Amino acid sequence: MLEVRGLRAGYGRINVLWDVSLQFPTGELTAIVGPNGAGKTTLFRALMGLVPHQGEILLDGRPIRGRTWDLLEAGVVMVPEGRMVFKDMSVAENLALGAYPQRCRQARARNLERVYALFPRLKERHRQLAGSLSGGEAQMVAMGRGMMSEPRILLIDEPSLGLAPVIVKEVFGIIRRLKAEGVTIGLIEQNTHIALSVADRMHLMRSGKVLLSQDAGSVDLDRLHDLYLARESGQVQA
Amino acid sequence: MFELLQQSLFSGLLVGSVYALVALGIALTFGAMKIINLAHGELVLLAAYMAYVIESRTGWNPYAAIPLAFAVTALVSIAIYLLIERIREHRELNSLILTFAIGVILTNAILLVFASDVRSTNSPLLQDAVSLGSVYAMNSELLAFVVSLLVMAGLWWWLRNSWYGRAVRAVSSNRDASMLMGIDPRRVELAAFIVAGILASVAGVALYTMSVVQPALGPALTVKAFVVTVLAGVGSIPGVFCAALLLGVTEAMTVTLASSALQELVGMVLFLLVLFFMPNGLFGARARRG
Repeated sequence: MLEVRGLRAGYGRINVLWDVSLQFPTGELTAIVGPNGAGKTTLFRALMGLVPHQGEILLDGRPIRGRTWDLLEAGVVMVPEGRMVFKDMSVAENLALGAYPQRCRQARARNLERVYALFPRLKERHRQLAGSLSGGEAQMVAMGRGMMSEPRILLIDEPSLGLAPVIVKEVFGIIRRLKAEGVTIGLIEQNTHIALSVADRMHLMRSGKVLLSQDAGSVDLDRLHDLYLARESGQVQA
Repeated sequence: MFELLQQSLFSGLLVGSVYALVALGIALTFGAMKIINLAHGELVLLAAYMAYVIESRTGWNPYAAIPLAFAVTALVSIAIYLLIERIREHRELNSLILTFAIGVILTNAILLVFASDVRSTNSPLLQDAVSLGSVYAMNSELLAFVVSLLVMAGLWWWLRNSWYGRAVRAVSSNRDASMLMGIDPRRVELAAFIVAGILASVAGVALYTMSVVQPALGPALTVKAFVVTVLAGVGSIPGVFCAALLLGVTEAMTVTLASSALQELVGMVLFLLVLFFMPNGLFGARARRG
């Protein structure tokens, strides 16, 4: 289980996260929804050590050092917003870089087979430069690259951003499949409905705080929308 | 006249391969760290003087100096990296001042130790000319060309197939994403500086065997590397190689057709023309790293 306690983070003098505490229970899919500028991406970036932060990050109850490469070795992997593929490298080279952590190098060929089985289109295009792919294909590269890192905990930031509905469906099919394989998943998603369709638990963030935490099955959508659109304030635990 | 042009074309190609090595050193550290190492020419020169030390003290072939030259350039390169790494604010700009100053210090250190005399190899074997059909070359030029090609092939292989090489390309391409792969960018930057040191050591020794060196040569080498980099556009190894050969040939042609006084000038003219008419470089639009 991945857990953050009292996380504060920001850029320069601007603070974005205010004492955020939440958990990513093992084997579950935890969705984080909220409007633009809520601090969702900053939360993930702080978790991965890409943004300076204060507060505790615990993996299975033990505090982890906030170095990105230590997290990768521990099995915490992030698929970033906007895919961030290596544009001037081929699809195959992008996937190979996913196997950079020491613990993933040995099983690289096997993992590559697995990724190609899940995304047959990547196999067809393995020699193509990643910068020349469509948005959906680039998202597949980003997810495949994440899978090459053998995630125990996979943080996925806005996988549906800018994708056609049919591609979004495909991407979420893969997310379901990863969850079924036992990967603990953290998911940032603007589309509340699609997020709730795969999530076990849901947190709503706004203005750098967690406003609502509920089991995905018992979400009060009206209340969620009120909070989302800032028609109501306050913190609710259910 | 035709033979003369043919000859200068050939000599230009041979010397160009060494320019490519110098340019790739600068391109590598620029890619990894987005800073321009203005002292790279002095690193090359330092290696050339190591070849002089070995040859004059032991009488061995200058190429035997490569291990010593590499040790010296790698150490200086690491020192430059550690200094740059300490710059916290406006690193791109401040590193220019820092590396320029390091270049001045190195030039004067070389002047102090080796005096201002010009040095070149006195190995009869290297200076022997061989005839290849209608053109001639010194053994040293042919050897430099072959060695440069081998080193470039090695660099190409390293960037594609080794974990560190791939990491250098990943950091050059997208630093945040590379960190999310578990890459520690600082170790990769250090690796890039060490490999730039290897390139500089080979280039320096080759330069010593085929040409003359003197303490003020450093900035001219750095400028040539710049011209090559701009000609090539995006830093692909084949692109840099072709651009370097083009610069070598242009310089050699100028010496043959006009005057050796114009040799340095013509590179700058080429540089300006390319900037004006093809700002992305000759291979800019299509070529990619590696």
